[in-house]
Amino acid sequence: MSVEGASSELRPETRGEAVAGRHLTKTFGPVTALNDVSFSVEYGRVLALLGDNGAGKTTLIKLLSGVMQPDSGELLMDGEATHFRSARDARRAGIATVFQDLAVCDLLSITRNIVLGNEPRIRIGPVGLYNAKEADRIARTALHRLGARIDRDLSSYARTLSGGERQALAIARAMYYGSKCLILDEPTASLAARQANGVLNHVRAAADAGQAVILITHNYAQALSVADDIVILSHGTVAGEFRRGEITAEDVMTLVSS
Amino acid sequence: MATVASAEVVEAPPRTTSMSIRAALLRPELAAVCGLLLTFAIFATLKPTLFLALPTAITVASTASELGIVAVCVTLLMISGNFDLSIGAIVGFSGYGALYTLRAGYPPVVAILVALGCGVLIGLINGFLVVTTRLHSFIVTMGTMLMIRSLLNVLVQGVPTKLNLDPRLANFIAGPNLGGLRMSLLWFGVLVVVTSVYLLRTPQGNWNYAMGQNRTAAQNLGVPVRAMTIFLFCVSGFGAALLGTLQAARFDSVDGSRGLGLELYVISVIVVGGASLFGGYGSTIGTMLGAFIFAMIQSGLVLSGAPGFYFDGLVGLSLFIAVFLNEWFLRNVDRFRGTPSTNTRASAPQQSSEAAP
Repeated sequence: MSVEGASSELRPETRGEAVAGRHLTKTFGPVTALNDVSFSVEYGRVLALLGDNGAGKTTLIKLLSGVMQPDSGELLMDGEATHFRSARDARRAGIATVFQDLAVCDLLSITRNIVLGNEPRIRIGPVGLYNAKEADRIARTALHRLGARIDRDLSSYARTLSGGERQALAIARAMYYGSKCLILDEPTASLAARQANGVLNHVRAAADAGQAVILITHNYAQALSVADDIVILSHGTVAGEFRRGEITAEDVMTLVSS
Repeated sequence: MATVASAEVVEAPPRTTSMSIRAALLRPELAAVCGLLLTFAIFATLKPTLFLALPTAITVASTASELGIVAVCVTLLMISGNFDLSIGAIVGFSGYGALYTLRAGYPPVVAILVALGCGVLIGLINGFLVVTTRLHSFIVTMGTMLMIRSLLNVLVQGVPTKLNLDPRLANFIAGPNLGGLRMSLLWFGVLVVVTSVYLLRTPQGNWNYAMGQNRTAAQNLGVPVRAMTIFLFCVSGFGAALLGTLQAARFDSVDGSRGLGLELYVISVIVVGGASLFGGYGSTIGTMLGAFIFAMIQSGLVLSGAPGFYFDGLVGLSLFIAVFLNEWFLRNVDRFRGTPSTNTRASAPQQSSEAAP
């Protein structure tokens, strides 16, 4: 059962290294998916993780979100070594992974989607009832913090949201419930250009609000436009590390396919 | 980017009356209300003197309550995206639980608790099997249905057996104590209120809908999906056992064929009440209306002098109409509710493929 909205008002630290991996290695039988990969992401910064299919991006996300454990190497949160035994562990530690299509229940209201799993309660004797008024306030505040504009009644079904707005909902939800590190897996993959832009703005806004953001994408131009740091993965190893402005999309292409 | 701290609390836009009316009209019960009025109008016109009499009301209420007690409990399970086909068998088996306990010399109250416990226990087994085997609940509960029914028939040797429950207790739980109306109507009413509050006004109710719409999302957000599934199978088993207990008390007998085929009527009632077959949508108020529609059709046909076997035909027909209306409504629901955004309208029918387990 969920904790009673306890972590809802937590704001993450605003400086320093949030999450880091040191010498991470993961093999599946004869295949080495990750080989001695190190990276780090700071609060308030966006780290873009770029690479072709099979470069190890997905494996790295699974290690970070607790779905898998590394064979060797370690994960650090706020500078301390941590070990996630499950996705729940990682979530509790403040890592929120937003998958593209798996974030929204179509026939629940926007508000109910935002509070899902963390519903505010009113205690009446032994029963904890759903606090609709508080839920509405949370939904509004969460969207407002991200600067996301959803210009309709929040009691509308989430089905009415566009792809970009769904992404915004998921990001706003993760931020509100005290995540420190936001992992976005291909957030713009199926979006039209204008909506993709909106999502990238949200990514930036989340970082500006103090989140450490890891952005995984195939779209190198988009990544370069929003990222502070860039890590390029190729065949399970780090093929390059750059800061904003140090690299162009063409360079990424060459490195990715090297 | 806007500074966050300046306006943390955002005012909600005012709700207009027309919005509230629209929201009320677009509840899942709308079609069921229309169906109920239509059924009532048809039989009231066909046989005004017979249909609009107190004995008819009593029969209709009794049938609707007995069907509805199970259907309301199974509705919660169906909204979560699961089926329970074993309910009919549980109705029969719970009666045997009471019989066995009475024969062993325990007091009647204990017998009733054991009967209810049988249902919860079978629900627990169903839920546990569904969660661990990851088979579709349709298959799992079809298996347990056949096994329970067969076990029951072995135990009662295929003949109806007298229960000999204390008449005062039997009368208290199942007798016509409400001005001629049976007590089952009271239990039914309590269940409808409790389940409605649960669905609309508790966090678990929110999880219940979310599981049926997008199981993975619910799981990722920390909803205890497995525990909820087991719990909902227990609720379904409890509803069936409650009906089994009421019927055992009313007829003062245990019968190997009691509840046979009930599961199909119950699913029909739920769907006529506006719930989606694929989960994620529905309400117990709707199911209550569905139960009354069924009871009216049943009594109305008898009073109109139609042969009894027309009943299944009409049930089938109303089922078709209901499923058609429901799915159409689900596909088009955003046209009616909320202001649709300008793009991404094309992907509307994805809901069913997502929710169908």
